Amino acid sequence: MTSAAAINRVLLAVFTAFMLSVPWSVPALINSFWVSVIAEILIWSLLAASVNLLFGYVGLLSFGQALYFGCGMYGVAIGISDFGLSFWPAFGLGILAAMAMAMVTGIFAVRLTWHYFAIITVVFSLIFYFLALTNKWLTGGDDGINFTLPSTFSFGGTHWSFTDPTFQYFFILGAVSFCFWLMHRLIGSPLGKAFLAIRDNDVRASLIGLNVYLLRLIAFVIAGFLAGVAGALFAFFGRYASATYMFYHVSGEAVVWAIVGGAGTLFGPIVGTSIFIVVREIVSTHWEHHSLIVGVVAILVVIFAPKGIVGLWHERLTRLTERGMAPPVETELRTEP
Amino acid sequence: MSEFVLRTEKLTKRFGGLIAVDKLSFNLAGGRLHAIIGPNGAGKTTFFNLISGLLTSDGGRVFFHEHEITGLKPHQISRLGIKRTLQIKSVFPQLSVADNLWVTGFAGQRFLNPFRAASRDRGAHEKVERALEQIGLTTLAQRQAGTLSYGDVALLEIGMALISEPRLLLLDEPTCGMSPAETERAVTKIQELARVIDIIIIEHDMEVVFEIADDITVMAQGAILASGSPEKIAADASVREAYLGREEDEDYVEEDAHA
Repeated sequence: MTSAAAINRVLLAVFTAFMLSVPWSVPALINSFWVSVIAEILIWSLLAASVNLLFGYVGLLSFGQALYFGCGMYGVAIGISDFGLSFWPAFGLGILAAMAMAMVTGIFAVRLTWHYFAIITVVFSLIFYFLALTNKWLTGGDDGINFTLPSTFSFGGTHWSFTDPTFQYFFILGAVSFCFWLMHRLIGSPLGKAFLAIRDNDVRASLIGLNVYLLRLIAFVIAGFLAGVAGALFAFFGRYASATYMFYHVSGEAVVWAIVGGAGTLFGPIVGTSIFIVVREIVSTHWEHHSLIVGVVAILVVIFAPKGIVGLWHERLTRLTERGMAPPVETELRTEP
Repeated sequence: MSEFVLRTEKLTKRFGGLIAVDKLSFNLAGGRLHAIIGPNGAGKTTFFNLISGLLTSDGGRVFFHEHEITGLKPHQISRLGIKRTLQIKSVFPQLSVADNLWVTGFAGQRFLNPFRAASRDRGAHEKVERALEQIGLTTLAQRQAGTLSYGDVALLEIGMALISEPRLLLLDEPTCGMSPAETERAVTKIQELARVIDIIIIEHDMEVVFEIADDITVMAQGAILASGSPEKIAADASVREAYLGREEDEDYVEEDAHA
């Protein structure tokens, strides 16, 4: 067990070092275009994380997380272009809009579970997608809203903003890392354990005194927060917001990323999102049917690794290190008093 | 003593045309271990579901220490101190044994801190350790609950009931599916518990019932057929009729009644 933990720690250190070196190492190795691809992967992995929080930790499969992503985007875009907000208030508005939407829709959605829950999240997503599409005066419809990027920090005469690709990358990396750290804390906390209990057995959870409805609603709003941060970052990243990102297609992709990567594991969404976006970027230039690969990989993983790639990794690693360490300990041995 | 621990007034539950619990008025005095027996379909589990809030009644009222709990949600009733186990063993299969106990221990709190690491809570940790010792599962603390043997799951359920510090414990066939050794262990545990907690137990194993119960209530077709001391129940003619309609059971109950 300890050696498995050590291997994972080394991997995490290597991964962290790589992420920190991306603005220099990636242009040197490939080209600078891939820096922005990696930034995009980070953002989308946060959307996948919001699916993962609900599905992997609370047991609710949401096909509507793009709605809160879209709210994050529009909060930023409308905040900047209509209200003339600067960077941080617009960022805050985006996150708040997403959480408020999650709160309002969650009040209805979390009364349901399983396929009913999945269906109602799709329905909400569709309703607001069409509303966004038709109310052009507010959302710009299909064309979306373009805005000029305000600077993020300014001290005296110096400004830092997303126009500097290195700053942009590190800001996104920082924000996404912070959200994953928050999620890590959450999972280990009493609230997180209550989520797991509800995922495992909701009837039992209510009998031990957990308010299942309220806890599911809290989880739904936290997931809305994660999706909202992702959407707000994506708005800054692309300098625009559009209703297309609210479509349930986007939600569906996030579900696939989370499940293939490993629902119920912290890093699953990052792994899943990375694989699919990298495949898309490489293959789509040569072959237009790249989504076929997505489908095949998704099916294979669901059949052969129900806990996703990260789940499979953990399983293999524990088996490998346990075998390598000591003679098998008789764990089954128990004395009946 | 005028105050009952649990009192129901004409409690009724219908499933379509079937009356599962029929105007049931039940009184539980404190300090006694009360067993409910009855043929399959008598409404015993439905009765537990009504008390614990998993089902809403179609009529009648429930009082816990003379405080009305009719229509409350399961978690609200649980927080008042009524804890129960389920007939089909029910734990959190993907959590470790220790975490099952841990989550049960704090579930009654109104505020679940999202910012504090659960592993840092010393008090809770000691409580879990103590419960593990009491049910004898210390060596299996880190095992996933879903991988335990049936008897160990049942013990874990009792541990979960223990750690939640109940005022009234509803046990639904706790020894069902256990080996004789496990049954004996569970029975000892239940008798120990009964000294400090009020317990109602649904049980099919007559040997167990007549061994541990102070009072027995017999249910049939959603109503109380008879209620009283084990001796009285064993001698009751209507009970014999309800139970012994089937020939093969006759020897069984007689034998046990005299055991």
